[in-house]
Amino acid sequence: MDPILAVLALLGIVGYVSLFLGTAEPRHRHGDLFLTIVAFSLIVMVIAGLFIDWPVEFSWQDTTAFYAIFGFSAFTFLIYAAKVLRLWLSKEEDYYEKKGV
Amino acid sequence: MIGWVHPGFLLIIGAFFVPLFKGRWKKGYLIIPPLAALIDVVLMYTGAFGQIPYTSWHLPFMEYELIFGRVDKLSFLFGLAFSLASVPVMIYSLHVTSSSEHMAQLVYAGSALGVVFAGDLISLYFFWEIMSIASMIVIWHGATEKAHSAGFRYIMWHIAGGVILLAGIVMYIASTGSITFNAIGWNSSSTYLAAMLIFVGFIINAGVPPLHAWLPDAYPESTVTGSVYLSIFTTKSAVYVLARGFAGFGPLMWLGALMTVYPIFYAVLENNLRRVLSYSLINQVGFMLCGIGMGTALSLNGATSHAFAHIIYKSLLFMSVGSVLFRTGTAKITDLGGLYKSMPLTCAFCLIGAASISAFPLFSGFVTKAMVVQASALGGLALVYVLLQLASAGVFEHAGIKVPFFTFFGHDSGLRPKEAPANMLLGMGIMAFLCIFIGLYPQPLYQILPYPVDFEAYTAPHVVESLQLLLFASFAFFLLFTSGIYPPERRTISLDTDWPLRIIGGKFMWFLREPMTGFAAWMDGGIKRIASDFTAFGEEKEERIFIGISVMLALLFLALYLIIEILYRWIF
Repeated sequence: MDPILAVLALLGIVGYVSLFLGTAEPRHRHGDLFLTIVAFSLIVMVIAGLFIDWPVEFSWQDTTAFYAIFGFSAFTFLIYAAKVLRLWLSKEEDYYEKKGV
Repeated sequence: MIGWVHPGFLLIIGAFFVPLFKGRWKKGYLIIPPLAALIDVVLMYTGAFGQIPYTSWHLPFMEYELIFGRVDKLSFLFGLAFSLASVPVMIYSLHVTSSSEHMAQLVYAGSALGVVFAGDLISLYFFWEIMSIASMIVIWHGATEKAHSAGFRYIMWHIAGGVILLAGIVMYIASTGSITFNAIGWNSSSTYLAAMLIFVGFIINAGVPPLHAWLPDAYPESTVTGSVYLSIFTTKSAVYVLARGFAGFGPLMWLGALMTVYPIFYAVLENNLRRVLSYSLINQVGFMLCGIGMGTALSLNGATSHAFAHIIYKSLLFMSVGSVLFRTGTAKITDLGGLYKSMPLTCAFCLIGAASISAFPLFSGFVTKAMVVQASALGGLALVYVLLQLASAGVFEHAGIKVPFFTFFGHDSGLRPKEAPANMLLGMGIMAFLCIFIGLYPQPLYQILPYPVDFEAYTAPHVVESLQLLLFASFAFFLLFTSGIYPPERRTISLDTDWPLRIIGGKFMWFLREPMTGFAAWMDGGIKRIASDFTAFGEEKEERIFIGISVMLALLFLALYLIIEILYRWIF
């Protein structure tokens, strides 16, 4: 494995765990530090993407930071879609028991 | 060499000795059957022929020959995954004292190995059904009213699936004249219907929507250890039989792609962590089925290796949630949070499982899932590719963020449970080690895949693509969560495709219980009244005279009839 990729991967996992520590409530006393690490990892990933020869199986793959945009929008779409679906699908825990079935 | 020993039989026969041991001896004994099965499978690999041998047990069954032990690359891979996972899972369950629970779980694991090594359709069906029954008993050990009824619903799905499968098998054998289990001929018109019935039987066990509702219904109701076992065997043995029988079957690719997307919405809504993981399980099996449906060497390698990695990280996630349930008595997100302070090791193991399933570089999911996604890109399947990437963001949402964040971080619940017991930690530790080992050093796994592997996961585009997708998805989570848009957890369940069945089934049962029972009681009363009138009849003198006259009249008419009949025949 390329050492640069290994460093990027490690930074990724550190950013992932830092997000949890920085977002937990009540705030961790190093919360701001953790969030700074997250922001740093985000910036590094976008910059790293600029130096890569992207494969071109699909034309969109060489758009700048395509996967960053995709990940962000897919996640946001998913949450909003779930919020709408909740109106129909979510029922009380004893829904079936109350129906007597 | 003593020849070929079936690893599944080691577990099934081993199960029946469990009640003979008590206390410490029992813990010592329990580890033997899974360990023996693992050694057995590993020795199969380095067998006497230097390469993977094809060895069989032959039993005469009517005019056919059953093959209980077909060992080739595909069955070896799944056999190894099952037996390898059984050891840490058994270590994780050593604290359980119930003999019957251990027995059901061992028989369940053994029958899954039986399915994997079955070389013909009849012995496949035999183990398939043992697996259904054993898994139902594993669910029943949850020992609650909910577990009991969920187990019944579970077995109804699987009996239906089993009957469809059996019908398909019988028709298939009748038209091909062979019981061998290889690629099922869906292309030929003479076997098309049989192949489709077999296919439906298989995909019910794989949990393909809309035939999946049994899975999130029943798996969360089992015991702490039962859920871990359930997460491993039924669905992955279905992946195995689909990989063997339906590789390259186009509709399977689309079913798989939709199957990765469908459950991610449910996983966002669910409050019960084990139900979140059950939906996540369906989503992951979707990646495998999609790869099988594509049917290229790369996609099949991806599907089977993903099954291998999945068995390990998914059981790790079920184990970590199980440990929380074991210590706190709840697996509901609304009751949990902030546990990283008092359960740091369980938290770390959960994060390793979460990073693996989310396909973070350096973890096992990354080196396997990338193959399936890459196969869709190379095949020019743009829509499948986008669905799989969307599903990847979805996996990260529920398994990568929701499960660890709301359990161990999130809003502090104030709970300060003790760290998980040593045996649970050891079981999780082995699984976590395997997740990282496969992630860092995938070559041993690549070597045992069905096709030669010409794939490098750690290329710059793959790594950066995954990290961008995952980290920016988590950035979206951060913004949505801190702004209060992220839907707060509520004590709810979500209606799924079993809703009409449960409502109609429930109404039908009500119909049987209320109107039908009333009708039966009315009929019963009526019959009793008539019967008692009959038995009481004849107690009075007048009645006896009446009976006597009636009988004499009847005899007289009979005699008259006979006389007329005889005269008639005599004359004509």
